[in-house]
Amino acid sequence: MEGDEKMLDMVREKTKKAKVAPASARETGEAQPERASEVSGLLSLSNVEAFYGSFRAVSNVSLEVQPRAVTALIGPSGCGKSTLLRTINRMHETIPGATVKGSIALDGIDLYGSDVDAVRVRRVIGMVFQKPNPFPTMTIYENVAAGLRLLGRTAKSEMDGVVEASLRRAALWDEVKEKLKQPGTSLSGGQQQRLCIARAVAVQPRVLLMDEPCSALDPVATLKIEELIRELAAEYTIVIVTHNMQQASRVSDSTAFFSMNEDRAGYLVESGATTTIFTSPKEALTESYVAGRFG
Amino acid sequence: MKSSAVSVREALLQPGTHDLRRARTDWVMQRIFQVAAFLAVLPLFVLIFYVTLRALPWLSPALLTNNPLDQEPGILNAIVGSLQMTALALLVTGPIGIAGGVYLSEFASSRVATIGEFVIDIMLGIPSIVAGIFAYLVLVPILGFSGWAASAALGVLTLPIVMRTTQEVMRLVPPSIREASLALGVPVWRTTLLVTLRTALPGVLTGLVLATSRSLGETAPLLMTARGTNAENFLDFGTTMNAMPIVIYQYAGAADERSIGQAWATALVLMVIALALNVLVRWRTINSRVA
Amino acid sequence: MSGAALDFRRQRSASSDPLFRRILAAGAAVAGILLLVVTGYLFAYSAPLWSIQSPISFLTTPAWVTGIEQADGSVLEVYGAASALFGTAATSIIAVLFAAPIGILGAIYLVEFAPRALAVPLAFLVELIAAIPSVVFGLWALGDLSNRLRDSIEWWVASSFGQIFPWLSEDPTSPASDSIFRAGFLLAIMILPMIVAVSREFLRSVPISLREGYIGMGATRWEAIRDVVIPTARIGLIGAVLLALGRALGETIAVTMVIGNAEGIPSSLLLPGQTIASKIANNIGETSGEIPLASMTALALALFLLSFLISLAVRISLRRFSRVRAVS
Repeated sequence: MEGDEKMLDMVREKTKKAKVAPASARETGEAQPERASEVSGLLSLSNVEAFYGSFRAVSNVSLEVQPRAVTALIGPSGCGKSTLLRTINRMHETIPGATVKGSIALDGIDLYGSDVDAVRVRRVIGMVFQKPNPFPTMTIYENVAAGLRLLGRTAKSEMDGVVEASLRRAALWDEVKEKLKQPGTSLSGGQQQRLCIARAVAVQPRVLLMDEPCSALDPVATLKIEELIRELAAEYTIVIVTHNMQQASRVSDSTAFFSMNEDRAGYLVESGATTTIFTSPKEALTESYVAGRFG
Repeated sequence: MKSSAVSVREALLQPGTHDLRRARTDWVMQRIFQVAAFLAVLPLFVLIFYVTLRALPWLSPALLTNNPLDQEPGILNAIVGSLQMTALALLVTGPIGIAGGVYLSEFASSRVATIGEFVIDIMLGIPSIVAGIFAYLVLVPILGFSGWAASAALGVLTLPIVMRTTQEVMRLVPPSIREASLALGVPVWRTTLLVTLRTALPGVLTGLVLATSRSLGETAPLLMTARGTNAENFLDFGTTMNAMPIVIYQYAGAADERSIGQAWATALVLMVIALALNVLVRWRTINSRVA
Repeated sequence: MSGAALDFRRQRSASSDPLFRRILAAGAAVAGILLLVVTGYLFAYSAPLWSIQSPISFLTTPAWVTGIEQADGSVLEVYGAASALFGTAATSIIAVLFAAPIGILGAIYLVEFAPRALAVPLAFLVELIAAIPSVVFGLWALGDLSNRLRDSIEWWVASSFGQIFPWLSEDPTSPASDSIFRAGFLLAIMILPMIVAVSREFLRSVPISLREGYIGMGATRWEAIRDVVIPTARIGLIGAVLLALGRALGETIAVTMVIGNAEGIPSSLLLPGQTIASKIANNIGETSGEIPLASMTALALALFLLSFLISLAVRISLRRFSRVRAVS
């Protein structure tokens, strides 16, 4: 009970702060129809199911993810949150035997359409992984510029500019500007993760997917990244999977809560504005989870 | 930096020439990888097919029961000779190799183990001709052109194989197994022999079989020591012995068709034995991997 | 990763323990002693040669001449290993040039693209080639491979490039004879399995998270292999090639059967030559006398030292690989 009170206080604090900052979707967590159409980055998931061979890991998820906002996917482990995340940028299908059903669209374009190449989807939808994975054989500079090189934009002046801008965006520039030629792995864990964020934004995606980006980091680094995520939300559609409820309430505008049914498939229990989910959820299961009674 | 550079519609549905080129390169490279894998496995089939083809006309029971000087020549003394010399070599190097391998894995300090591994590396790399000339210059004056000298030369080549495989499979046994045994009060030497080594036994046997296969196929050292003979030779290590690789080598360049045919038939027998041994030991690994 | 699995040194136990350990240590020591004995004899038996010829001259002179009576009654003896060294080097390099690309590309297929049900049996089949004895390879080359090569590659190379590059021309009197090229090609087939097997291990050791990171940015699978997997595994791949090179250097019989056994350094790769191994194998029977035997031993010693250097290079490169892996 006391924990619940603390949680509610925290959420109210956040809501107050959010009301002060200018934003379109932050206050209510719901799209204002007339604004959504001019802002790119709306993700629409419709009856999405994900399989590993014949095993169904995610069942029947329908969700609208708003642009310029952070949507958190929460729930106990094993509920298919990461699997669902990876269907959005078509990484799920890189596992042999893995398939996807249903439809996922970005700004109305079906990402699994026959005329859409998965490679291009991943340029528009970036991903940051649980464990920071900078490329060990590349320098910091090369890590950030890797995506640009793939796109053929190799003019030095352009690359220099984009690398600096991306590192600034990831709040890393000041710490590494003197050592851009050092290997990407020479940084601390939190810095490495910000490096991964920098290289993700360097190719100018519309959406950023984050799979438990802070779970391998210490609390100080975690806080820095959470601040970064709030800043990035001004420009990108962000979907973040997290085990940490407090993090979800700190960082996100909308929250989707997942659970597992009897045949071990994950399903969407409830979604809505973060404040609503945490203070007055519709489902009893949701309420149990956010009150810390399981998971 | 504005994130409005390229519209989503453009990025997803209208690939530029650069993107198309990348996709095409990817496709081409994947075909290249497939071709390379095919080329890597091709020689096995070509070899088996061709050797079988050439050997077929010369296969008969007499091949395996007769000797070179009989009415219908056979390679019995070569088969027997090969088996004898390999058996003797392995009889000696097997236990020594296992002992050494166990030592390097279980009891050697880090420095000794590194040195030991390097020594084994060098020995594994000894070209068979070098082992052969060593046997010719050092062992033959003492032991004569004989099965003894040949087996000794084979021993030099097989010892590192047994030692290396034993060391590696012993290392793979999890420490917890040793700890459990020690915690029960079992002395170290019994633990090592009856627990750790027993767990690693399949791998050790594999090492012995691989060494056997290698030893059966060696030619150069045998040419310089046992030399080959037409006479029957059973268990007389003191004199020259015949062996399958010697037959193949000596008959390969022969003028008459019959001898060449013998060479091919011997090659088939030797190849079948070597392949059978290797398939046998790897069968278990394949099954466990796929399952 | 060296050293004992558990530290038994401070175990105080039954009195049979020290004896046990000593027996085992003796087993290990046998290997060391054997190596020292072999090395020692190689040096000792080749020593007489150095009294009439310097090692430098031995290594650099192509001619191998014995027993030619001079005008003044002395016997001319020149032992030059250069042709044999050339042949050994040339065949091994040709072998690696063919086998390394195909082997590594094939390994990439097995690791990155092959479905699991196919990858395991396929890898098994590739490694099975290594089980076939070298003398069988030699026989096959004499009977089958030589013909194929003669009618296809050798003919094409000689007619297309023979004019431009004299080192690729044929002997007009006996075109497509046994040659350095043929031996090198055969050697390539024989070392291919080793390159595939070892490369596979190193490619598999590259963490999946690195590949995913690159593909997640919108790279194609080939680009991920080119820019992430290969660079990360590079040192190990080099080790694999060096390992195969060592094997190629040591290969005796198959090469001897198809190299043609000619003295001197041939003017073309399509002409017969000799390797250290083939020279020893072909001549040792008729060699007698202290100095001629010393010269044969010196050849063996040279080969032995060469393979020792390669073993050293492999160890060093593999140690660097594990250091790189530990950092990332």
